Amino acid sequence: MHGGKASTPAVQLRGIHKFYGEVHALCGVDLNIGRGEVCVAIGPSGSGKSTLLRCINQLEVISAGRVFLNGELQGYSERDAKLHPLHPKQIARQRRLTGMVFQRFNLFPHMTALQNVIEGPVQVKRERKATARERGTAILERVGLHGLGDRYPNQLSGGQQQRVAIARALAMEPEVMLFDEPTSALDPELVGEVLDVIKDLAKSGMTMMLVTHEIGFAREVADHLIFMDKGAVVESGLPQGVLSNPEEARTRAFLSKVL
Amino acid sequence: MTEVTSSSLTGERATGAPRSNTDRFIAKDVVPRRHPGRWVAVVFLAIVSVQIAAELAVNENFHWGVFVKYLFDMQVIRGVGWTLLLTVAAMTVAVVVAVSLVIMRESDNPILRGLSWGWIWFFRGTPIYTQLLFWGLFSVLFPRLSLSIPFGPEIVGVDTKWIVTPAMAAVLGLGFNESAYLTEIFRAGFKAIDRGQTEAAQAIGMSRAKIWIRILMPQAMRTIIPPTGNETIGMLKMTSLVLAVPFTLDLMFATNAIANRTYLPVPLLMVAAFWYLSITSVLMVGQYYLERHFGKGHDSQPVNGGTA
Repeated sequence: MHGGKASTPAVQLRGIHKFYGEVHALCGVDLNIGRGEVCVAIGPSGSGKSTLLRCINQLEVISAGRVFLNGELQGYSERDAKLHPLHPKQIARQRRLTGMVFQRFNLFPHMTALQNVIEGPVQVKRERKATARERGTAILERVGLHGLGDRYPNQLSGGQQQRVAIARALAMEPEVMLFDEPTSALDPELVGEVLDVIKDLAKSGMTMMLVTHEIGFAREVADHLIFMDKGAVVESGLPQGVLSNPEEARTRAFLSKVL
Repeated sequence: MTEVTSSSLTGERATGAPRSNTDRFIAKDVVPRRHPGRWVAVVFLAIVSVQIAAELAVNENFHWGVFVKYLFDMQVIRGVGWTLLLTVAAMTVAVVVAVSLVIMRESDNPILRGLSWGWIWFFRGTPIYTQLLFWGLFSVLFPRLSLSIPFGPEIVGVDTKWIVTPAMAAVLGLGFNESAYLTEIFRAGFKAIDRGQTEAAQAIGMSRAKIWIRILMPQAMRTIIPPTGNETIGMLKMTSLVLAVPFTLDLMFATNAIANRTYLPVPLLMVAAFWYLSITSVLMVGQYYLERHFGKGHDSQPVNGGTA
């Protein structure tokens, strides 16, 4: 437990629904993530946990509900009890509050590791190139990639690429970090190096939401664990409680398969 | 004998340029494969080429003296210049229009999408020769270009013949026609980029325009350049159609005019072919460097000593 003292949670999700055509991917999800808290979502494939994560930084447009970051409504302005969509520029600005790490890294292949990291600061925050370079080098060092800034993504291992991706997100100095199955595309021997970086971040007091299949890791870093199934949060609470003493049959069924 | 020691594996660099990383090192006890068939082919082709060259050189029908005389003729050189200018100008128009059309085509706005679709439908669906004829007639069909109140007085205006000159008509005709083809090439290039690239750029707060310029375009270039190089070379030769406008200063027209005067078409056709071939060669060199530039991060070899 890190935060909890500030009055507004960093992330508030209220009654989130998401439809893909006929498919009801999220069915009214409520979730609070306090400042400095690490929230981990587990659950079977297709349970909606990645979709939920992507709603937080508006990569998915929600069908109903409200997303608040630091108490600010995301994607809309509310006037006369109606929601008016924001201009794409304002949405881009709101996204600067969050940093995201993808399952498949999504590094920019035509840029070196360092160029990937400074792209946001230089192009979005209009930071001076020299400053950004200095800061970027330091961040790369922090994720254990000292001296690899000049490599292109295809010259790096999967674990190194994912750490560059984490550095790229951190360079924007986000308040919330979102991890979408960050180790699922990695060879087993490379998972550890990425989890170590995420663990360090968690210890440093970063607010995070993490979707993962690594139950052991979830137990270790989570302040708050949610189990999702069929678009809903089935069970939520302290990781020890949910993992050792699940109340719901669906949670027990899932855990018996993965543990 | 067949024992493979570590020393024989750390081996030496194969002589000659390595074709790839994998054949840079070969063990000492591996004998390179021989290719006797290649040598037979080389000898055969050498004999045939020498015979053809000799035949061409002594064949009087080619009038090599006339070829040499007109190769650097003033009218021909001016034709080369105009053909180059038309190619560059028309391709520039085409690229600018095509980029706008691609962005319109991918936009959320149904009107822009429709416009883009309609443009491609029209310019790809009618013959270039017809379009060039139309551009040539443009100033006859619309003698005055003006901004005015409908059915009311004119605010500003100009005689069309000052704006849509034959050169301008040729450039617009060639450029607009080409833009329809380039749009499809560009669209394919952008489609080939993984959606995750846009998402990653959005996640760091980049605007739509920045994502196009910084993330999508440089990556699309890699797949766009080879077919666009093709189109440029095609355009170089398509410029000979501008006689439909009629525009009469390009290379093909110039050599034809001389040929008609001297009654010697073959050497003048050879002059035109020589220049088209030379320009194409220069363009191919340019394409090579462009491809190398935009291949960054894709074609680069894994670095030594890394964990890649």
